[in-house]
Amino acid sequence: MTTTQHTRTAAAGTGTGTAISVRGLRRTYGKGAGAFEAVRGVDLDVPTGTVTALLGTNGAGKTSTLEVVEGLGRASGGTVQVLGLDPIADRAEVRRRTGVLLQSSGFSGDLTVAETARLWHATLSTPRPVDEALAMLDLGARAGVKVSALSGGERRRLDLACTLMGRPELVFLDEPTTGLDPESRREVWRLVRGLRAAGATVLLTTHYLEEAETLADRLEIMHGGRIVRSGTAGEIADGHPSTIAFDRLERALPQQLAGGVVDPASYGQPRTVVETVDLQATLTALLDWARDEKVRLEGLDARSASLEQVFLAIADSSTDDRRDAPTAPATPNGA
Amino acid sequence: MSTIDLTPASYEAGASTPTQGSAARRVLGMARANAVLLVRNRMTFVYAVVMPLVPLALLLAGPRGESGAGISALTNVLMLAAIFPVYYNLLSLTVTRRDELVLKRLRTGEATDREILGSMALPGVVVLLAVVAISVPVAVALGQPLPANGVLLALAAVLVAVAFAALAFWTAAWTKNAEAAQLTSMPVILVAVVGSLVAILPDRARSVLEWTPGAALDALVRLGWFGQDTEGSAVSFADSFTTAAQPLATLVVWAVGAAWLAARAMRWEPRG
Repeated sequence: MTTTQHTRTAAAGTGTGTAISVRGLRRTYGKGAGAFEAVRGVDLDVPTGTVTALLGTNGAGKTSTLEVVEGLGRASGGTVQVLGLDPIADRAEVRRRTGVLLQSSGFSGDLTVAETARLWHATLSTPRPVDEALAMLDLGARAGVKVSALSGGERRRLDLACTLMGRPELVFLDEPTTGLDPESRREVWRLVRGLRAAGATVLLTTHYLEEAETLADRLEIMHGGRIVRSGTAGEIADGHPSTIAFDRLERALPQQLAGGVVDPASYGQPRTVVETVDLQATLTALLDWARDEKVRLEGLDARSASLEQVFLAIADSSTDDRRDAPTAPATPNGA
Repeated sequence: MSTIDLTPASYEAGASTPTQGSAARRVLGMARANAVLLVRNRMTFVYAVVMPLVPLALLLAGPRGESGAGISALTNVLMLAAIFPVYYNLLSLTVTRRDELVLKRLRTGEATDREILGSMALPGVVVLLAVVAISVPVAVALGQPLPANGVLLALAAVLVAVAFAALAFWTAAWTKNAEAAQLTSMPVILVAVVGSLVAILPDRARSVLEWTPGAALDALVRLGWFGQDTEGSAVSFADSFTTAAQPLATLVVWAVGAAWLAARAMRWEPRG
């Protein structure tokens, strides 16, 4: 992030365009020698009415960050404003206007779907009717079924029904589609788009790059407790080289490929990979050469820099000042 | 599902959406679900509803209307109602729902921590109060007198409910899972029960045990129901309040102390 983003703007946190404003957020678990800093100075702005995706490997600090913004955890440093309010001091108002989906669903297995929804309904100030909330996630036919008998996907949908039951203007979704089948995943995507169209703000975390690219206006890539890249998918991929790959040739490539350079990692490999910042020029040069020399490029594949490439490069990079990152912790809910 | 209106409540024209949020509505809504769970699980139901009624059968033993049997049976009714529907039921409910991540989920909503805890305690407390209420006509029908001081009995029931609810939350904090609750509940149950043995112990032990909830309940049942002190002498209605000060204070100290411990130790997420 640039230094200008550290300066608090007039709009930040006043509810006139910034739904969430986070500055210098730190979160440490434990004390003394065993202390572990999961969030190490995060700045984050989520504009009202947009979808922002927090991306990152397990243990990157996504959930730890989200929990502080949701008011479930306390920061060890920095400031958080949600709808212009303090999520802990102004808890009642923040909760009335927000909906939270935790990474793991939390329900009593012995209650039915309808009983669970009624319980949640009773806790809300401005709820939509139980039937409507269940229908919204195609659970109407399962109303009388015990939660323990639901599939993982159904349980997740019930969780989402509760999250959206209070008709929130700001929604936090921690890995909303993990464990869902493709069809349910698309239903959730439709809901997220619907929320955005209705003017609500969404902050979600996900492992799925496709999900982030499809849904989010802005991506924030976390690694080692920090946000290391932010912007649209295009902005993030910008500056990362495009690649051309083909089966290894029995002859040398020309010296000049309009700026394209063979990736040293592909020397001696079955596939040769050429990296370039100008895909079109390099590809033209390569194809012209191949035509003139009557060379057949088997398995030719050319692709622009993708979010995936950037993401994998970040995930592979070591974070020198972190002892135990970026490998995932043993816990299933990846801090 | 294509016709669902996802407009946030606060964005609607005039923001005329009726706000129906109130602490009472939230607590009752959550307590209703907890009551359903209590009744639905046969084990829980037997422990929480049937167990406290068992000591009433003691009224059938011995000569009809004998006050010694009455005191012992009714003290046990109160004690078991505190131990099972309130303490043990709440302990296992708290541990189970914590481990199912239900507590964490509820905390993401509008309900406050106190409301969530209150809603969990409420069904058991209602059972305790109902058991005490039922025991009055049953005892009278079996030849026992009407309570001499109903206010004292009611106070005793409420205080003991608060104390054992708080003890349940505190015990839950260091109980690893629902099975472990069978063991971790033992110390509190032992301390609760030992007090009712106060009458048969030597003086020195007696002076300590008088400050246990069991001893306090025993004293309050004698005073509030039978109008007599622990020595068996009759106490007038007016004097029963002053005589009750020590056992009432005992219950208050236990309630406040347990609440303090519970507030410090409360865990909302599964233990490591």
